[in-house]
Formats: sequence, structure tokens, C-alpha cells
Amino acid sequence: MAAGQGTAPLDPTPLIDSMVQARLAPAGRDWLARALAEQAGDVDDARFGQLLSAASRIARRQPLQPSPALRMTFRAAADGLDPERWTLLEAVRVRLILAHPQRANDRGQAALESAFQYADEGELCALYRSLALLPEPKRFAWRAGEGCRSNMRSVFEAVACDTPYPWRWFDPIAWRQCVMKALFIGAPVARIQGLAARRDEELARMALDLADERRSAGRPVPADLWNVVGPCGGARADASIAGELDAANAIAAANPDGPRAAAALQQERRRAGAAGAR
Amino acid sequence: MLFLDPHVHMTSRTTDDYEAMAKAGIRAVIEPAFWLGQPRTQVGAFLDYFSSLVGWERFRAAQFGIHHFCAIGLNSKEANNEPLAKEVLELVPRFAMKEGVVAVGEIGYDEITPAEERAFAWQLDFAARNDLVVMVHSPHRDKKRGIVRSLDLAAECKVPMHKLVIDHNNEETVQSVLDRGAWAAFTIYPHTKMGSERMVEIVKKYGPKQVIVDSSADWGVSDPLSVPKTAALMRERGVDESAIEAACWGNALHAYGQSGQIDVDALTRPMAIDQSRLFHDNSVLRGQTPKQAAGVPN
Repeated sequence: MAAGQGTAPLDPTPLIDSMVQARLAPAGRDWLARALAEQAGDVDDARFGQLLSAASRIARRQPLQPSPALRMTFRAAADGLDPERWTLLEAVRVRLILAHPQRANDRGQAALESAFQYADEGELCALYRSLALLPEPKRFAWRAGEGCRSNMRSVFEAVACDTPYPWRWFDPIAWRQCVMKALFIGAPVARIQGLAARRDEELARMALDLADERRSAGRPVPADLWNVVGPCGGARADASIAGELDAANAIAAANPDGPRAAAALQQERRRAGAAGAR
Repeated sequence: MLFLDPHVHMTSRTTDDYEAMAKAGIRAVIEPAFWLGQPRTQVGAFLDYFSSLVGWERFRAAQFGIHHFCAIGLNSKEANNEPLAKEVLELVPRFAMKEGVVAVGEIGYDEITPAEERAFAWQLDFAARNDLVVMVHSPHRDKKRGIVRSLDLAAECKVPMHKLVIDHNNEETVQSVLDRGAWAAFTIYPHTKMGSERMVEIVKKYGPKQVIVDSSADWGVSDPLSVPKTAALMRERGVDESAIEAACWGNALHAYGQSGQIDVDALTRPMAIDQSRLFHDNSVLRGQTPKQAAGVPN
């Protein structure tokens, strides 16, 4: 499917429930049941925010560690969204967010905006992880862009990685900034979904400019960069990679371990090419 | 030895300070909400300030291997702008029970005005009803009377004394705080509040039980290394190790740990820094070595 086209609302709630219920202590399960019941009767924005905060008192930031089978089912039910790196606390918070009774309308959007405004780092991550699962996710595109502008790496990765949100709903400017920022801060580009589908000449140009900047500054060019360029870089990309190989070969000539360094780079190039073909 | 600085305003400090603090053994800090050197004029400024305490500042500290906790409250100075204070007090419950918030604070008296007392009492009552720890700022002027009155007001609002920390004590006030069973904190400031030498004498005289040392370092002339420096002086002057540990680590952990928000085991483990912090997942790093002193690329 092309970016930005509508999708039916995604609802992996039963899967979140199964993970959360198995991991919470009895008191935590009771708290969550009460919180969900209270929410179902409608809550004001302040109370919704307080429930999201208070979840930290019954669930820790421990890794959720979903089983491979559950991850596969989850991804299938949620357009590729992957809970692999969620914490238990995030899962509880996403569960609460998806249960907001007004989530499909303007009041729900206002409640979410208020929650973002008052959020701490952990709440921000959970809110961003939930965006792809909400009705009409495009409503939150500006907010997700704010997350990409964050200097908190955890927050950036919650928006950018393991989620279909950026490639489905970001406009070209936000999308390219998201990918370039990942390269810039060393966040794992391989975990940005839809990269192969939304690579283009402009993104390749930006990545190749970054490669030039890094070389001029005497700093290493990240291997992920070639995955961002993919097949869209043309002759300039070939020249840029050749430059990398020349540098590696210069090291090889001056260093007994050098030939292996050059071979490794060629291997990297092949890998990038293979990733580009996916 | 590991240290906890249970009162330090890190938003005013540089990354050099964070580096020096980590190097000196400071593993955790508590940053209470206070004023910014000049009064704020609108509630949104408080919203963003509280947000930064539970967001960016916590993240920034973690990059240097320091656990950042905070206290949320309306400070005494700005309580005197009553229309604004009313709006800020509505914000307090939305932040005071977030993850990593260990107390309501710093609250108390500055000029001991009726407006200050109204905000103070409201927050003490809120803390008592929600079983929260309270960090009390004591006034610079008329300190002794301010502290006695703070203890009385806290008792009236039914804050248990073991959940009450009275800060910025001196030789003249410490006994009244200890007698009531509250925690007595001391701010080591180069010029005004307490010097390290005086602190050593206080620990020798009163013992380490209920005594807490902090720096209260902020945007003024102050020293974020006050806690380890005072510990070193205590050692030099023959205070025994267990007393130093209590005053510079254990007591504050005990007092603020009553919030349930401090994982002591995590504090004593070497902290996974920044990039590996999220999930301790090395694959995120792909072979890079995360650097403690590395800045934030943007």
C-alpha cells in the first residue's frame, strides 16, 4: 500500500492484554481493570493523564520480551508494528490509550494532545508507540513530527522505529527528516519500516551530502547510510562508495590488517545492495 | 563510596558538572522544583518546567550515568502571586505522582506570608492524602521560626514526621527538627548556608541518624560537588565510614525511597548509559561503544 492511504483501524488489544495479564502482579491486574472500567465511563483529560502516569506505580520499565510467535501475530494484526522493544509499562499505557472511549473523535484527539503536553519521557514513548493504532492516524502527524524533533533518543526511537507510522503518515519533509535524523544520531535505520518503499532521489541526495560532510570532517560514514541511499543515488552514489573504498584501501596499504578492512567494506556494499532490493 | 545529592537544581548546571559529579561518585540526584531566579508570569512556564524535570533533564542526567529523580511543587517565593499560584497548584497533582517523582517539594516559607502559608498547607494536605514524602525549603531570613512553624503546619496537615524532610538547617535549627522525628537536611554552600567544616561538627555532635547532606547547587555561586567534598572532609576529620555513608547516601535513600520510586539495586549497579539504556540491547548499538561523556547529536 502506498504511504498515506487509509487503513482500517488496527486493534491488537487482545494481544496486548494477553502479554500484560501474564506479566502483571495480581494488584497490577486489579488496578488496570479498575482503570479501564473508570475510563469506559468517560474521564476528563486530567484524569486520563493521571491514569497514564499512575500506571508506573503498578508496572515497571522492564522489557516486555514478547515471544517470537506473539510478535509475528502482533505484526500481522497491526500493520507491522512490532512490540519487541516495548517495556511492560509501555504496554499497559498503550492498552489504556487504545481504550479511550473518545479516541475516534475530536475530544479524544484533545485528550491525547493534553496527555502529550503533560507527559514525562516514559509516557511520551508509550503515546508515540500507540499512534499507528489509533483511528485516523494522520491526525497525529504533526505531533509525531514533534517526537522526531526530540533530542531524547528513547522518544525518537518510539516514533521512528518498529512502527509503520512514519512511512504511512509522514509527508515527504517529515519522512526524510526522520530517516536522516536516525542516521545522524546513530539510531538503527534497519528498524525504520517502509524505507525501501519510500526511498527517493531527494533522500539519497541528503544522505550523500551527509557522507561528504562526514568525510570532510574526517569522521566515519555510517554503514546504514548506504541503506538509505539504496538504488536512488545514481552515479554520485557509486563515486561516493568508491571514495569509501579508496579510503579503506589506503588504510589497507598502510596496515597489515588492511586488506580485510577493504573486503569488509565491499561486503557492506553488497549487503546494502541486497537490502535495497528487498 | 557512592553518593546521592538529594537536592540539586541540575537544569541550571552544565554537562561539565554532570561529568565531574559522575566522576566523584554521585550516582543519583534529586531535583526539586523551585523558582528560576526571577518570578514566572504564567502557568504555562510551570507546565514546561515540570515537564523538563521529568523529561529532558532525566534523560540528560542518564547520559552521564546519573539517575535523576525530582520533587514537584510550588515554591514559597512564587506562592505570593496568588492568582498564578492557584493555577500552579492545579498542575501539581498531574506531576507529583509520575514515575521518578519522589516528593512534593521544595515547598515551605520564604517571607512567612499568609499567601505562602496557604500554598504550603494545600500541598502538605495533598501529600498527606496521597501518602507522599515532602521536601521543605526553610527560609533564609527568620529561619528558626520558619522551621518550627513548618513542623507545626506539617503535623496539623497530618504529614507523618518520617515522611518530612526539612532542608537548609543550621546549628540553631537542627535540634528542633530531630526532636520532632523529621529528617534534617543541610545544604553545603560556599558562602551562605553551611560550610563543610560546620557540617562535620554537626555530624560529630548529633550523629548521622536523620541527617542528610545536599548541595542545593543552582544558578548561583554553588558547588555540585559539595556532597563528596563534605564526605572527604568528614573522613579526614575522623568521622567513621558508616556515619558518612548515612549522611551522604543512605538516609536520603531511606527518606525519599518511601515514595517507592527508587530502585536501590539499580543505583548500585553500574548504570547502562544513554544508548544502551533503553533495553540493554547491544544490537541497538551495532558495535559502537557508547561514550559516557558524549553529547547529544541533533
